[in-house]
Amino acid sequence: MSVDTLPARPANDAQPSGLPVVGWVLRQQRRSLVIWTVAVAAVSGIYASLYTVMDTGELASLVEGMPEGLVSALGYDTIGSPAGYLESTVFGLLAPLLLLVFGLGIGARIVAGLEEDGTLELEFTHPVSRRRVIFERHLAVVIQVAVLSVATWLVVAATVMAIDMDVSQGDLAATGLGLLLLTLALSSVAFAVGAATGRRVIALGAGAAVAVLAYLADALAPMLDDGRWLEAISPFSWYLGSEPLVNGIDPLGFGALLVLSALALAVAAVTFDRRDLGV
Amino acid sequence: MNGTASADVVIRTTGLVKEYGSTRALDGLDLSIRRGEVFGFLGPNGAGKSTTIRVLLDQLRPTAGSVEVLGTTPAAGGPQLRARIGYLPGELAMSGRTTAGELLGYLARLRGGAGSERIHPLAERLALDLDKPIRGLSKGNKQKVGVIQAFMHAPELLILDEPTSGLDPLLQREVIGMVREAQGGGATVFMSSHVLSEVEVIAERVAIVRQGRIVDLDDVATLRRNAGQQVVFEFVTHVSADDFSGLPGIDDVAVDGTTVTCLLRGEPDALLKAAARHHVVRWSAQDRELEDLFLDFYRVAVHAEGVVTDVR
Repeated sequence: MSVDTLPARPANDAQPSGLPVVGWVLRQQRRSLVIWTVAVAAVSGIYASLYTVMDTGELASLVEGMPEGLVSALGYDTIGSPAGYLESTVFGLLAPLLLLVFGLGIGARIVAGLEEDGTLELEFTHPVSRRRVIFERHLAVVIQVAVLSVATWLVVAATVMAIDMDVSQGDLAATGLGLLLLTLALSSVAFAVGAATGRRVIALGAGAAVAVLAYLADALAPMLDDGRWLEAISPFSWYLGSEPLVNGIDPLGFGALLVLSALALAVAAVTFDRRDLGV
Repeated sequence: MNGTASADVVIRTTGLVKEYGSTRALDGLDLSIRRGEVFGFLGPNGAGKSTTIRVLLDQLRPTAGSVEVLGTTPAAGGPQLRARIGYLPGELAMSGRTTAGELLGYLARLRGGAGSERIHPLAERLALDLDKPIRGLSKGNKQKVGVIQAFMHAPELLILDEPTSGLDPLLQREVIGMVREAQGGGATVFMSSHVLSEVEVIAERVAIVRQGRIVDLDDVATLRRNAGQQVVFEFVTHVSADDFSGLPGIDDVAVDGTTVTCLLRGEPDALLKAAARHHVVRWSAQDRELEDLFLDFYRVAVHAEGVVTDVR
């Protein structure tokens, strides 16, 4: 009997070892991940280094002429300081924007998007539990978001060293961690909505809505008389509210981001386990 | 459905119902597939074939009724159960820059490596280039990837959704050969199709599904016998349809000028005697395609509901 006419093997119940799904996803994603990493690192590096050509005095007088509410909403009240500059350009705007575009997109696509276009049917019908699909695919999101966040942090850290900005490397690392946690939390929301519904557009919309509302809540809070509750519920405030570039890790805020990610993953695992797939 | 001991039944569904919102895709489906048989599951698109298959694979959860695959429910069996099944989807969606070989290697890893040693021989047998990127593959070549991943781990149960669609006749024969070999090795094969001729050559029993229910279940030989013959008479003069309709075993009488066509099941005696009362100039009797029989089930059932008289 030749090798391709083996008899059926009744005892065959082999299951995967290691993290085959993570490996497969990263392999599929490697090109896009490299491009995004280079782009995010370039933008962050360029903006950080522009600090040298900024005339801080001129910047300060410009800010002085703006309405107080607008200034604090934009986070420009400290733009004259190195930490303030990095917060209002790189960490408060460009990096989260780019990372969230990437993270929400991958979070919505990695289960819901690929389920919708039928790509996951073979994986679903192989000896892989639904829980495993969810945990491995979420882990793949974590890894990719981490790669982009670490790249952002390293480039800014190198720039700070190169142009000798007065920012603590410890606080910078803390802010990089915060960026990772913010992106992960909101990407996980998109991931969870996708896992629960199987609809990429709904997942993307939900993630983007949470991101925009979080940003608006954080921006509007200082302009309102009793806006503190907005900061309390905004993931964006959890990330930057306590100024990690000056004060380092904010255990409460960063912890809240971590809890949101874990909660989203739990919701994804439970809902995905219960529903019909590919409908 | 019958008294077969449960150990010999590989797939059993009883009163299986599946609803999506207000649509009832399966409406009390009863099936019983015996160990070692090749079973054909026939019906047009939308009859509930893929829904049934996806319930068997735990992609869909039944609304009501029970389902058992290899002695367990698909939900309880989980990954251990799916490890014993090979599945070929009806529509294979594959994309990406990775090659066919890489995809097959990945799928084998999901089975703990089971079947990876057969990827190359099977690819050679089906003439599939494993080094080509998946997104550039033709429909036929994608189908080959699907066939390989379904067969490579020599599963106990093969569930094939339209297995030979998109393949050229030579490869169709090759796949049919693989099904026979799998059966020879002790596997049970459950294959769906909307074309009877596709399963006719290898299936021993065939079920016909319509609107989520089994409307007929028989061995292929009986189906063939019931299919009957298409009989045509040409007479010198005009004749009345009344002379032929109502005869035993005669259906679908149609008169077109001097030509009479009808469907004969069973003995032709009464028909020939009725025809002999006129001057016959030409006649023929032809075995019907099973395809036509397959349509009968639809026509009769639809007719009974008074919706349409002919689905063709």
